Amino acid sequence: MNLPANPTLAEAPETEAERNARFERDALGYLDQLYGAALRMTRNPADAEDLVQETFAKAYASFAQFTPGTNLKAWLYRILTNTFINSYRKKQRQPQSSGAEVEDWQLARAESHTSAGLRSAEMEALDRMPDSAVTDAMNELAPDFRLAVYLADVEGFAYKEIAEIMGTPIGTVMSRLNRGRNQLRAKLADFAREHGLVPSGADDD
Amino acid sequence: MTERLPDDCSEVLDHLYAFHDHELSAEEADQIRQHLMACEPCLDRFQVEDALRTLIRKCCSQARAPESLRVRVTASFSRTVIITEPE
Repeated sequence: MNLPANPTLAEAPETEAERNARFERDALGYLDQLYGAALRMTRNPADAEDLVQETFAKAYASFAQFTPGTNLKAWLYRILTNTFINSYRKKQRQPQSSGAEVEDWQLARAESHTSAGLRSAEMEALDRMPDSAVTDAMNELAPDFRLAVYLADVEGFAYKEIAEIMGTPIGTVMSRLNRGRNQLRAKLADFAREHGLVPSGADDD
Repeated sequence: MTERLPDDCSEVLDHLYAFHDHELSAEEADQIRQHLMACEPCLDRFQVEDALRTLIRKCCSQARAPESLRVRVTASFSRTVIITEPE
């Protein structure tokens, strides 16, 4: 008999303790990244910590369902996103005006108001742009746009991965990215002009 | 003054994000690349986009999880496996 050995039977099944050790070794390496993403989602450190803690608890509990060799980072982000969506919805039911709930007409208006982006002659403005200007501009985006932009621009996920993480078709991802990026870039250009980071006259042509 | 772009340029600019994201086919990406090499204003836009992405990534990836969170998370794992060794 020369049948190929079934690879799943070739190795002794992983014990629970081994699996837990693997989780700690592999998943914990993403703690800083997940915290960074949580911070952008929740926009405050206390909620971000709770969100990450809850994410790790859920990931730990369901790690047996994670297929080794597939994308662990994307899997963790999916849990993070689902956890955020659930708790975000819960929070929305409470009376709270954090400015997060942006109406469609406000979005449309914001988009029609987008000023011209920066030009290469104005690129030095970017060197003088404080980190907080960028994170504030990110925080002003609608949650869907913010998350899509974060996953693409900061984490470098492919459209297909973002679609899986956010549970939406790729077309939706692309439209969120398009609108979110345009808004973000317009906000940064506005910031640069309002704070005199752009030499005066540079945007006259 | 509104910019009046040739059709070629609007087409390229429409695909600039996807090009930057490496989401175009090799053939489509080659077309964009060829255009960028030949068109100063579009190359200009590409460079600004490139610089913006570097900036956004830099600003948003500074976050470090507080040590207290690392401790909380690790503690939640080990809580399930308590091994007491007899002294």
